[in-house]
Amino acid sequence: MSAREPRRATPEASPALRAEGIAKAFVSGKVRTQVLEGLSLSIDAGELTLISGPSGCGKSTLLAILSGLQKVDAGRVLALGSDLTALDSHALERFRLRHTGFVFQGFNLFPALNALEQVALPLHYLGLPDRQAQERAMQSLDEVGMTPRIHLRPGELSGGEKQRVAIARALAKHPELLFADEPTSALDAANGQIIIDILHRIARSHGTTVLCVSHDPRLTHHADRMLSMEDGRILSDRRAEPLHHEA
Amino acid sequence: MVALARKTLIHEWRRFLPAILAVGFAGLLQLLQAALVLGIFSSASIYVTGSTADLWVGYPGTRSVSLGQPINPDVGMHLRMDPAVARIEPFYWVDGNWRGVHGSGGELVYVTGIDPRPDGLMFSRALPASLRARLVEPDTVIVDRADVGKLGVKVGDTAAINGRRVRVVGVSHGLRALGGVNVVTSIDTARQLTTDPASVDHPTYLLVQLHEGSQADAVARRLRGAPGFGPYDVWTARQFARRSVLYWLLDTGAGAGVVFMAGIVFLVGAVITSQTLMAAVAGSAREYATLNALGVGLRNLRWVVLEQAFWVGALGLLGATVLGLLLLAGARSQDVPVALTAPITLVCMLLAMSLAAVSGLVAMRGLRRADPASLLR
Repeated sequence: MSAREPRRATPEASPALRAEGIAKAFVSGKVRTQVLEGLSLSIDAGELTLISGPSGCGKSTLLAILSGLQKVDAGRVLALGSDLTALDSHALERFRLRHTGFVFQGFNLFPALNALEQVALPLHYLGLPDRQAQERAMQSLDEVGMTPRIHLRPGELSGGEKQRVAIARALAKHPELLFADEPTSALDAANGQIIIDILHRIARSHGTTVLCVSHDPRLTHHADRMLSMEDGRILSDRRAEPLHHEA
Repeated sequence: MVALARKTLIHEWRRFLPAILAVGFAGLLQLLQAALVLGIFSSASIYVTGSTADLWVGYPGTRSVSLGQPINPDVGMHLRMDPAVARIEPFYWVDGNWRGVHGSGGELVYVTGIDPRPDGLMFSRALPASLRARLVEPDTVIVDRADVGKLGVKVGDTAAINGRRVRVVGVSHGLRALGGVNVVTSIDTARQLTTDPASVDHPTYLLVQLHEGSQADAVARRLRGAPGFGPYDVWTARQFARRSVLYWLLDTGAGAGVVFMAGIVFLVGAVITSQTLMAAVAGSAREYATLNALGVGLRNLRWVVLEQAFWVGALGLLGATVLGLLLLAGARSQDVPVALTAPITLVCMLLAMSLAAVSGLVAMRGLRRADPASLLR
């Protein structure tokens, strides 16, 4: 499947992600904090879904669980038809390698590598030959408008540019699922807007399921669906006007 | 493939420098220590390695050249009868007491009585023909450059050995002795210096040259233990040299000291290297965690750390080699006994690389911090 090939999401499509009665608690010393309890949720394929809520509401934990980075205490997570809760850590790594991309608040780029190398690096582990990895990396960097700066290292890039490289790194794998955690909170307004536009476009043109955790109000205008959380529960679940789909 | 390990090493060289220096200095210390010990103890076998005999015949159970005892000269008759033997040459070892003419204090000297002819076997490699020819004159001796100061003489001076007057006619190079001072003289002079009248006609060793040097092992076996000539034994030059070095290395405890020091050096090097590498890994923990989130397995990340350790080891070794060669050259020019063999150099290099590898394995623990879920908190 190519990233260039648009996969239109249809409302009838089976959910890309489904959580069934998931629970998660963290224990620190003698204190046990129940972060999520009996939460169920379906995320449709090819949509940009935004999860917002006050800090400590459990939205990041939910993202970690849905993306296979964290185990649940109870319940089940189905991603692209696979039961993540039944996979061991090796199988989870393989699943993430094939199907998921991540964008974090901090850009987490290797200081020693230039933009092209940052993006090509994970592709090698995917088993792509050097040449193909390079081509794909160039393609992804082009998509985020970074072609003129592919030979620069993170130290020579602005915050917004670094985040665009980080997105290109996630995108180059052609993931079906893209997870983003506060991708704009470290950026100024203009750069934040660019990142939002890119994420929106990815969901639109690639049919990628984008799940984004953020409390950036600008993102809400671009999301297909907005979930707001508090105390480990989903308070509201709103869909955008169809008008936005055509935007 | 993006060379993450190498590029990070180059880009963040300051961070890795302590590890490179630690491996380098550990390697250098081990190399120099080995060179010094080998150099010092190889002087125990200089009598053998500086000569061209194929076989050495001496008193049974002799563990080092300097511990020889007189043997029956008739053994030579038996040796000569073997068709493989080309030539036999006696060698006298006399322990002496050196006194300078100006009343300077006594010094223990090893008097080695050699055949001074140009084609003599003893010290044929250590003494040029012109120098040994000077020993033809009675009561003349050659001392080593390294001992000139200790003996307080120069060429032309006289001194007394075991009460008999001798004259210094030359200075040798590279004949430093272990635990004493080498004084080279002719067989005739050495016999005059013997304090035990019974052993005047009894050489300490017989040096044997064969027609075919490659048959040394077989001939040595064949000549060993014939009855009727009193006690004697036959060794190949190789065996006897090795025997002498091992005696000093093992019986003086120096070998154990070397191993102990090597262990300490290894340990200290490994602690510094692993801590530095671990700090470097921890410094990139978020980037590693991101790669892991993207599905790059922990096993692959561990390889990156090991590769970094490998490069740290290789760079450290490179520095150690350059510095080591310079220091060894400096030591040689100052008559400090140093010697290195290819196997020992290889062992030192392997030790340094395994130090880096062990440190890499320890530093992998730094990847525990690279938990991708922690990036979401």
